[in-house]
Amino acid sequence: MKDENIKNTAAEEEEIDLFKKRQSVQLTPENAEFIRSEGGLVSLKLKNDDGSVEFFERVLPIRSFPITDPDEFIAIREPDSKDKGKGDEIGMIRKLSDFDKAAQELLGEELQRRYFTPQLSKIYSVKDKFGYSYWEVQTSAGKISFVMNNPSSNIRTLEDGRVFIHDIDGNCFEITEPEKLDKASFRHIEIYM
Amino acid sequence: MKLMFDLPAIDEEVLQQNISSDERRMYCLPYNFEEEKKVEGFMVFTDKHIYKILNGALLKKYKLSEMSDFAVETHYGSCGFYAKINGNSELLCLFISGRNLPRYSVIVQACEMLVKGDNKEALTSNEPERFCPKCNRPYVVHTKICPFCQSKKEIYLKLWAMTKGLRLMMLFPLITAIIATVFRFVVPAIQKIAINEYIIPATGITGKSISGFLLIICAIVMFDLVHRILNVMQSRMAAISGNKFTRMLRTLLFEKIQMLSMSSIQNKSTGDLMGRINNDVSVVQHFITSLLPTYFAQAFSFVLALILLICLNPVMCLFVFIPLPFAITFIFKFWKYMQKRNVKAWVLARRTNMHLQDILNGIRVVKAYGNEKQAIKTFEKCTNKQAHQDESNAKLFDTVFPVLGLVVRLGSYLILMYGNILLFHGTMDVGTLNQFNTYANIIYEPLMQITAIPRNISNFLTSLGKILEILEEEPEVFDIAKPHNITIKGDINVDHVTFGYESYNPVLKNINVKVNSGEMIGIVGHSGCGKTTLINLVMRLYDVTEGKIEIDGVNIKDISQMTLRSQIGVVLQETHLFSGSIRDNIRYAKPYATNEEVINAARMANAHDFIMNLPQGYNTMVGEKGYSLSGGERQRIAIARALIHDPKILILDEATAALDTETEKLIQDAINKLTTGRTTLAIAHRLSTLRNADKILVLDHGKLAEYGTHVELLEKKGIYYGLVMAQKRAALEKSK
Repeated sequence: MKDENIKNTAAEEEEIDLFKKRQSVQLTPENAEFIRSEGGLVSLKLKNDDGSVEFFERVLPIRSFPITDPDEFIAIREPDSKDKGKGDEIGMIRKLSDFDKAAQELLGEELQRRYFTPQLSKIYSVKDKFGYSYWEVQTSAGKISFVMNNPSSNIRTLEDGRVFIHDIDGNCFEITEPEKLDKASFRHIEIYM
Repeated sequence: MKLMFDLPAIDEEVLQQNISSDERRMYCLPYNFEEEKKVEGFMVFTDKHIYKILNGALLKKYKLSEMSDFAVETHYGSCGFYAKINGNSELLCLFISGRNLPRYSVIVQACEMLVKGDNKEALTSNEPERFCPKCNRPYVVHTKICPFCQSKKEIYLKLWAMTKGLRLMMLFPLITAIIATVFRFVVPAIQKIAINEYIIPATGITGKSISGFLLIICAIVMFDLVHRILNVMQSRMAAISGNKFTRMLRTLLFEKIQMLSMSSIQNKSTGDLMGRINNDVSVVQHFITSLLPTYFAQAFSFVLALILLICLNPVMCLFVFIPLPFAITFIFKFWKYMQKRNVKAWVLARRTNMHLQDILNGIRVVKAYGNEKQAIKTFEKCTNKQAHQDESNAKLFDTVFPVLGLVVRLGSYLILMYGNILLFHGTMDVGTLNQFNTYANIIYEPLMQITAIPRNISNFLTSLGKILEILEEEPEVFDIAKPHNITIKGDINVDHVTFGYESYNPVLKNINVKVNSGEMIGIVGHSGCGKTTLINLVMRLYDVTEGKIEIDGVNIKDISQMTLRSQIGVVLQETHLFSGSIRDNIRYAKPYATNEEVINAARMANAHDFIMNLPQGYNTMVGEKGYSLSGGERQRIAIARALIHDPKILILDEATAALDTETEKLIQDAINKLTTGRTTLAIAHRLSTLRNADKILVLDHGKLAEYGTHVELLEKKGIYYGLVMAQKRAALEKSK
């Protein structure tokens, strides 16, 4: 009986351990140094409160408000891994502009990649057929054709007038100022705005 | 799902220059982005290297032996394929999520195997392809139909083959439609006689003329009557043949769905299958029996009218066609424009609806936060917008539509003008002019609907394609040519069985178990270790990937599925009772069981007593709209159902997991009764249920970890021992 009790507490501790998460800290230029890693990604040198220095070979910047406030509240996380599972949040950057230019550039590059939203500049054609709509467009990433299955719910207009388009494949496109599109292009998205 | 894409010629050349002769190409996948541009690059995976190739240039060559930690990360708007090279993380490529994420997920696994040196065979993926390999456009949801690439001719041929036995029936509406059209043309010809012979001469009513005139009136009425009767007949025949066709197609589809194996059914949702049986069949039927004859008759009357017009007066005939191109362009343009505005109105209406639903569902929250005013304001904004759009659409439509009619009939005015000139010159008579004008109108009539034809045809083809797809699917589990019909004794031999729903991800690995007739085997293990899969294999809902399962020494692949399953009784954790009486549900597997048999089965299952307490006894209705039974009661009915045909093999899949201790006892008691003399495979979370099991089979990550009696396994102090101890502890905690 006693033996079992002891085992029990050990198991409980193990369980608590599982739920133990890293405490997210605020990242500032003082305690965080972002470095380009060997593989061209982002590494982080973090000075902890107790003076110890931690090094992360790779960290991921994640936006809290990717659409409305992309450069504020950027979480810095460890990548997910097979043996450790979901990556923990290491800390949070309040404003990207708090950091020096080099860090901004480095993080900006990674963010750009992780939030890949080409600017849509021209709509060549939209064809509705068989329940899908087929689009041919010009974007900052080149000429792209994509397919949407339900335009009325996949074209989202924000209050500030920007338009976001999501296609069936997981691509995203942005039109910052729809009014500035040429007339023919504008007519294609007008009905969904 | 395709994992080996073909390289374009220039890329192939580059690869050939760099690849060594002893390297084996395993996979080749496209990647889609490079430096924020959309590209068409390729990642080639060999057993030694990964090559990144773009537009005829080798961008990078990775050495597999230096790599580790392969991973796919989902970004916003793309996905990344990452790996560590000598311990340093690197981004290998970026790709579109929807198209390629499932592929790269397999590749992650594949790369890990390659690094380990396991390169015997390339992995394959059972995941259905969702994009047309020819044109890269998506398939129709849940299907393998590319609306752009499907061969229309093939579809029509298949449809033709399907209508066997119904052809005469379906020909009838066509024939009646044609005859009706002919009659329609006769009436104006008689009118012509009436006008020319009797009305124009106006010689006054003499005895002779009145009888002729009356005859003509009668003829007109007669022909009109016959025309209408024929129309009625056509509609009736269309209804009859249409429904016959629908019934045939629905039955065919339903039969096919029933015959399909579990694996193909699991890939489709219930809603999708229901849609195909109901909506798609209706679309096809409507097109074939109603739209097609109409189009046919219209085309026929068009040709007939054209010939007659040319015969009557070729010059005047030109006037009919002069405005036609303008009219048709105008109609198409207008409909297109109108359609856009209608979409806009529809979007707004939907938005209002959604908003309404949102607010009404959350009315408690709205009230709790005192936000009523805000809700009213947003709703007003929505409805106002919608009302504006509707109003302007209606105004436009009501103005333009009459104008449209005018444009279409422009030809008529030209005819009248030209005809009157001819009249004055005396080269044409009034009767002919009237006849001519009537025929011209027959030509104009279908024009207004002309825009709907392409849409109707494409809808029809899509629906038909979806139906054909199911009808042509080959069941993966099928009977051999001459299956055995054996009477099962109950020996089960699981011989080196390996199985995975996806071939690269085996759920069961090399399982070897022999069960003697009459034994009860408890199957335990953590969730997801393959317990239910093992049972599915014994029932042959799926076929094993490797190895074989024998019952009484016969491979189950050689036993007819009917024979096999009619001798296996199954009780699942989730009991589904069909709508119907309790008796119907108990004798589901043996529809002609006698009442006595039903009662005996219910008694065995400890269900008799509670059934007798229901006011309508065994006739109580259960199921969706019937009497609501408790979980334990439903479970006991399910047990009775499994017992009614006295199966030699009994399968219990966590039959007692969701019950309280009291009912569990009752069911436990029932189970004890019913396992005697039967080979029983029982999956149980609560190990106490397996008290009477002859042997316990412990699965761990798809492998057979332990096999033996309760006592043996306890002494072994392995996984089973751990599980028993853990449950004891939990029970102790509870009792505290």
